[in-house]
Amino acid sequence: MAVKRLGRKDYLNILEAIFFIDFLKGLSVTLRNLFRRPVTTEYPSEKLTPPKRFRGAHGHFVWDGTEPDSLKAIEKFMSYEKGKSRCVACYMCQTACPMPTLFRIEAVQMPDGSKKVTRFDMNLLNCLFCGLCVDACPVGCLTMTDLYELAGYSRRDEVLRMDRLEEFAIDFKKRRGDEPDRIWPVDGEREKLWGRIEWTG
Amino acid sequence: MSEFTLSLIITLVKIAVVLGVAMGLGAYLTWFERKLAGHIQARLGPTVVGPFGLLQPLADGIKLLTKEPIIPRGADVPVYYLAIVLALAPAILLFSVIPFGPGFTLLGREIKPIIADVNIALLVVFAMGSLAVYGTIFSGWASNSKYAFIGSLRKAAVIIAYEVVLGFAVLGVVLLAGTLSTTGIVQAQIDKGVWFVFYQPVAFILFLFCMLAESGRVPFDIQEAEAELVTGYNVEYGGMKFGIFPLAEWYLNVMALSAIAVVLFFGGWSGPPILGPLSPYFWFLAKMFGLVFFVIWLHWTLPRFQAKDVTEVAWKIMLPLALVNIIFTAVVVYMRGG
Repeated sequence: MAVKRLGRKDYLNILEAIFFIDFLKGLSVTLRNLFRRPVTTEYPSEKLTPPKRFRGAHGHFVWDGTEPDSLKAIEKFMSYEKGKSRCVACYMCQTACPMPTLFRIEAVQMPDGSKKVTRFDMNLLNCLFCGLCVDACPVGCLTMTDLYELAGYSRRDEVLRMDRLEEFAIDFKKRRGDEPDRIWPVDGEREKLWGRIEWTG
Repeated sequence: MSEFTLSLIITLVKIAVVLGVAMGLGAYLTWFERKLAGHIQARLGPTVVGPFGLLQPLADGIKLLTKEPIIPRGADVPVYYLAIVLALAPAILLFSVIPFGPGFTLLGREIKPIIADVNIALLVVFAMGSLAVYGTIFSGWASNSKYAFIGSLRKAAVIIAYEVVLGFAVLGVVLLAGTLSTTGIVQAQIDKGVWFVFYQPVAFILFLFCMLAESGRVPFDIQEAEAELVTGYNVEYGGMKFGIFPLAEWYLNVMALSAIAVVLFFGGWSGPPILGPLSPYFWFLAKMFGLVFFVIWLHWTLPRFQAKDVTEVAWKIMLPLALVNIIFTAVVVYMRGG
């Protein structure tokens, strides 16, 4: 294996040491940076929009007519309502979750034999936002939104119940549903880092 | 009104002006330094309090003044308080021998814009520079804290490194000017028509080195190394008692020593008269703040030396250089019949 030699010396020669060349180099770096545009986002007054794949607070996609055909097959076993969560209470998310106490999911059998999800609580205080639950969801219901301001005044506030989960996902889909699902929403920025990629489909 | 009372009043007015300007500028240098540091690191610095964060020093002052005073258990209380005075007083006293401009006549009286025009002004500078170290050492000793104590011991190690070099570095200028008086040195440069930095570039570098070491600036800020000593000798001080130390050491001392450097090497107030009667003051302050800017710029550029490196550089490189410089200068001055 060929060893690549770098053109950097370990020591300065005597002239460079006398004229403080290393100091001058450092000073020129800081001076150049002094006139650079600051990269600060002044947070409370300016907020960054995270990428669409950002792993923020969770959400439940709702039954709104955009779901794939495969979901129609299980429709008759569930007592779904329009505009309510698609969850089938399969406990896959809870199984995938590294944190045993995060989810609290309950379902009942309705008199007509169908299944109804009555409770889906997520204690975000336990959550490490790994996204394994989202991957595990077989019906494409559980998702993660781009909401990241999750501080609250009580522990109770940090538990997401079904209504808030649905609300988050409806809001997320309305705002960013049409965006391509990419890490770098701006192609130019991505290409600067990773080069050009041909997208298929 | 007797002559004595009049001169006393004039001196008091001068003291009030210099003290007010120095302390105000010292406070605003904190703002300047934070802005500069921020922009060097592609940040913004203070922006919230006032336009461009200009009221930030006032807000900091209010915050520091209203903080709860806490004195560590086992502290040597009289020395603990004495250290604050000993840090601030020499830094302010340095301003007393700085000539800000040429003498002028006001209401038939000759007034010099210098508080004490003494013929041993440079000795006063050395004396105050040495005294300032007591503030650092006392504060570390009195706080009964190991970090503070390590910080003050490091300062003691630094002072034995730079004090000697400082004296020898300045001696070259003294030989050229033939006087220890600051006004005399500036006058000598104006008479010769050349700044001494062109005759004594080595001495200027050495002086800069000593200035950085004395004011605890990077790369010689080993006594308050934030990363390893959590700001070192002043770590056990709180509120305004803490605020005094950076104000005195980082801002007043840097300003005063920059002013001394301007007097010694950059021709003091000399410069083209672009602002009429105010131009000497303008040139003096412009040169001084150019140097202050350079020191702060250096602060946010360089890493920190180790304590042993400072001593090593001072004794093995700087001191021989200073001696050679002096001997060379003395020989040249003697040959030319100076």
